[in-house]
Amino acid sequence: MPLLLKVRGLTRKFGGVFANNDISFDVAAGSVVGLIGPNGAGKTTVFNLITGFLTPDAGEVRFEDRDITGKRPDLLSRRGIARTFQVLRPFPRLTVEENVMVGPIARGESMAAARQRAGECLELVGIRHKAKDLARGLSTGQRKRLEMARAMATQPRLLLLDEITGGVDQPSIPGLIALVARLREEGVTLLVIEHNMRVIMELAEKVVFLHLGEKVAEGPPAEIARHPRVVELYLGSHA
Amino acid sequence: MRWLPLAFVAALAVYPLVFSMPFPQHVVIMALLFATLGTAWNILGGLAGQVSFGHAMYFGIGAYTAAWFYKGFGLSALVTWPVALAFSTLAAVVVGLPTFRLRGHYFVLASVFIMQAVYIIVSNWGAVGAAIGLELPVYRPSGALDALWHLQFHMSKLPFYYGILLLFVITLAAFEWIRRSRLGLLFVALREEEDAARSVGVDTMRYKLLALIVSAAFTTLCGMFYAHYVLYVEPISTTSLTISVEIAFIAIFGGIGMLWGPTLGAFVIVPMTELLRAHLSGHIGLGLAGAQDSGIAAWLKYLAAGGGGQLDILLYGLMIVLIARYQPRGVLGFFRKLD
Repeated sequence: MPLLLKVRGLTRKFGGVFANNDISFDVAAGSVVGLIGPNGAGKTTVFNLITGFLTPDAGEVRFEDRDITGKRPDLLSRRGIARTFQVLRPFPRLTVEENVMVGPIARGESMAAARQRAGECLELVGIRHKAKDLARGLSTGQRKRLEMARAMATQPRLLLLDEITGGVDQPSIPGLIALVARLREEGVTLLVIEHNMRVIMELAEKVVFLHLGEKVAEGPPAEIARHPRVVELYLGSHA
Repeated sequence: MRWLPLAFVAALAVYPLVFSMPFPQHVVIMALLFATLGTAWNILGGLAGQVSFGHAMYFGIGAYTAAWFYKGFGLSALVTWPVALAFSTLAAVVVGLPTFRLRGHYFVLASVFIMQAVYIIVSNWGAVGAAIGLELPVYRPSGALDALWHLQFHMSKLPFYYGILLLFVITLAAFEWIRRSRLGLLFVALREEEDAARSVGVDTMRYKLLALIVSAAFTTLCGMFYAHYVLYVEPISTTSLTISVEIAFIAIFGGIGMLWGPTLGAFVIVPMTELLRAHLSGHIGLGLAGAQDSGIAAWLKYLAAGGGGQLDILLYGLMIVLIARYQPRGVLGFFRKLD
């Protein structure tokens, strides 16, 4: 499979502490890659560096073989990179439909075309019946779906999902896993942060394990789950 | 409720025919002026969510451009408005480019500081009359067309009344048009959650600048109106922090982000201020309470009399406290359906 995203030597310090130190990995087109690690491992920093919300101190991000290091988030969105936020960020006083329309509108689509696309994306994530509600009235699970719909409406080739199941009650988890699988069937390459190992095992072909800002291991999920350092650092307390 | 706005505008159109005395007309002219200023402010502050306490700068640009060209070359705002709009757009870009990188409270602070700097510069700049200001020479028009060319109409306030009514309606229409358009959706998205807007491709700097330029343009036109109406511009009444705060306060008090919010705010606050000044200070003279007055009554009259006391400012403060406590969305928040 050709490479869609290539991360090389990504480094970012916050006040002398390495949030990311020399992190490198690849994301093949059409794949699902999981980014895991304990709290404070630097996963969200990786997301922010790739999507342009932070600028790296060193290192390079290549997307479709072009250097995109330090480019603005809105420009990267136009290039085909979308993301969701760990702390959900819907536009609270817009309707669910309007939330999803913002991306297409920002690309110059007409109101009607944007509404149409919003409808399709809401259908995909299963909250079309909420289209006319204000976003602030949604439950956490519905907000996660809204964020995915909003990201999908930008027609991304790479989608970064920050915590698919975080903060969601147990019964909702299988539905969200099925949804992510469906996004993949739409042809979107996925890079996902996820705490729940079961979810990662089910979805990802490859897992990158971070700890204290450094890459500790990389490989197929089954292999990572057996990796001694991963077991010690991450799974030890659960197993 | 849909007919209410139309009835309101119709009532405004008839009002000066019923109330022909200068003072009642003046009060509504000032209310309309501030309703227009508040609505213009609301495009940036309400829709795009960038609260500015520096809008008097654009008001001043309009007022001074009108005054300077009329005084120097006899050219009225009818001709010079494109020049003023060019200045205001330039100023908006110069202010916006650096300050829109700041977020939230920092943008508010930056807008205050820039405003104060401009006030100090204007107050000391000889070419625009420094602290004394510029007077627009009074002109005796020879006919209706001549009067229109000079924007001078003897003692009649009617042309000014209908002029500001027209600008008011245009500004309201512009606000509503933007709010319903694709542009409005992008403005509100960046107001609601800036990072999320950027993540889906909204160039937030560009749209903030655009909101500021449009908002500043209407504010500048208001300044031009003011110069021709009052025939005198000086720093305190045009480009000061007081005016900046008044513009923002009227919009916030009435209902930020809502079409009729600033208008409601202006029609409550401006008449109140004008009436307080006119009635309370009128028979007290220089702020000396009469012998028969004592205690609170005497103090209130002293405050109202203008001798260092400003009762209207005191009432502003009281209203800010009440509105912040009971309805942070502004008075119009009590009647949400109007919007």
